[in-house]
Amino acid sequence: MEQVGLDAAHSVTLWGLFMQAGFVVKLVMLGLIAASVWTWGIVVDKTVSYGKARRQLDSFEQVFWSGQSLEELYRTLSDRQTSGMSAIFVAAMREWKKSFERGARSPIGLQMRIDRAMDVTLSRESETLEARLGSLATIGSAAPFVGLFGTVVGIMTSFQAIAGSKQTSLAVVAPGIAEALLATAIGLLAAIPAVIAYNKFSADAGKLTARMEGFADEFSAILSRQIDEKLQPRAAAQ
Amino acid sequence: MKGSLATSSALHALVLTWALVSLGSPESFDVADVEALPVDIVSIEELTQIQQGDKKAELKEKAAPVPTKKETPVENAENAGDNDVDLKNLPTPEEKPRDIETAAAPEKAEKVVQTSDSKPAEEVKQEEPASEPSTEVAAVAEAKQEVKPDPKAEATPSEEKPTADPEAEALPDKIPLPEMKPKLETKKSETAEKPAEKKVETAKAETAKTPDRKKDEKKKQEKASSMNETEFNSDEISALLNKEKAAGGGAKRSKEQAALGGKKTTAGTKLTMSEMDALRGQIQNNWSIIPGMADAQDVRIKVTMQLDQNGDIIGEPEVTAEGGSEAARRALAGGARRAIMKSRPFKGLPPEKYDAWSEVVVNFDPSQMM
Repeated sequence: MEQVGLDAAHSVTLWGLFMQAGFVVKLVMLGLIAASVWTWGIVVDKTVSYGKARRQLDSFEQVFWSGQSLEELYRTLSDRQTSGMSAIFVAAMREWKKSFERGARSPIGLQMRIDRAMDVTLSRESETLEARLGSLATIGSAAPFVGLFGTVVGIMTSFQAIAGSKQTSLAVVAPGIAEALLATAIGLLAAIPAVIAYNKFSADAGKLTARMEGFADEFSAILSRQIDEKLQPRAAAQ
Repeated sequence: MKGSLATSSALHALVLTWALVSLGSPESFDVADVEALPVDIVSIEELTQIQQGDKKAELKEKAAPVPTKKETPVENAENAGDNDVDLKNLPTPEEKPRDIETAAAPEKAEKVVQTSDSKPAEEVKQEEPASEPSTEVAAVAEAKQEVKPDPKAEATPSEEKPTADPEAEALPDKIPLPEMKPKLETKKSETAEKPAEKKVETAKAETAKTPDRKKDEKKKQEKASSMNETEFNSDEISALLNKEKAAGGGAKRSKEQAALGGKKTTAGTKLTMSEMDALRGQIQNNWSIIPGMADAQDVRIKVTMQLDQNGDIIGEPEVTAEGGSEAARRALAGGARRAIMKSRPFKGLPPEKYDAWSEVVVNFDPSQMM
């Protein structure tokens, strides 16, 4: 650390700057690089998963509105791993089946139970969609400050070294400051994509959730109609 | 998530590698490679204290006198030359015999006879500037040497010098008196041979050069003047005259190649600043300036004086004042003159540098002395 700004042959390459940095600054840089890796990991993951979710929603909606029997659809989907709308559909159908097969007495209670099941699934699904978006937000807001901290520490040590070396030529001052500024650069490099990605993915997640909510409402209306249709003859028969 | 993390890591590794390789080192600023301009501080002394040497010699670093031919007869000679006696002066070139018009004005000769008492001193004085062949400094040194031991000149310098000098300087080539004497001779004793006279003349003109000759001459002059008092025998003049050819130059033998540059070691001396300040300080100590004098700030005093080897002033110091009001100028110039007269003789001047302080110019700024 004492050598900062002292050795005559300063390398001003990125690697040289990194290696010349002090311990704290190095730690900050490494942490910021890790944050950047994490950010881009989330970006890749979310891009892929949102694309998949959108495609699934599209295909499910297509199948759902194709006029296929709900029983059949349920039978094909129930033994599969489901997500998104299909998960909501399966949850609602499961609740329907359970209540109806055992002979539910109150149509209002059945409706409520189905809605609850769908809500739970919907919230679970949207949670999955929005998972790790929070860390993007954190990185986006905190990384510049972390980088700034690294810069401040780097410049501090650099100035201490300059005070020790008792000379102030720009050639002595410059490498230490450049190396310290590298920390801010890395912080910004991590923060900017994180902020952009967070904004984009939270908007996407909102859209997908809205679509699923819309489906859940529609399906709830369909099931409610079915309940009425199925329970009415029973009531009339009694 | 693992897959995407791996993807991200791979991406970062790629980008970082690319950055490390291609962003390696930013190009250094292209500082224009301006060649440093070498600056030598050359003092003006190198020009003002330049020494004269052999004009035909080739240019050399070190100034060296013309090589001598004879063996050294004097042990610790200091000045280079072919002389038998070590003399400070430069060797004088032999003058060609001149034709002398015998039909010179007779009144002048008469005048000479009439003023024979003050003649020798005057004569000597007029000769010096005319016959000096080389630098000014050398001439001044001679003048001082001559003035000191001469008992007759004692009375004359303050009265006659100021008047005699300008005349001599104005007409350096016309030396009336040395020619006058032979004319006297020719007038009165026509039997004397012309070429012999000419030789005598030239010899006389040259004798003014060296102190040794000077002494001889002075003796002779004394004799002459005593003779004038009693009886002037023109036939004996040629016997009295020193017929030895005058020659300057030292006795030290030089074997170096002649070079452009002076041979006199005494020519390049000058007073150091501290010596100048000592001189100035002696004057300032005796100078009482009336404080609060109007316009005294702008007055600049310049004192020119000639000093003998004891530090005493020869003649009157020339005090010139510039700037300020007329009254202030007069008052300060008078004060300066009084201060100079009070502080004489000046002490602390190195005798070996007499050439440099034989004539001194001292400038004063009265505003700095209040």
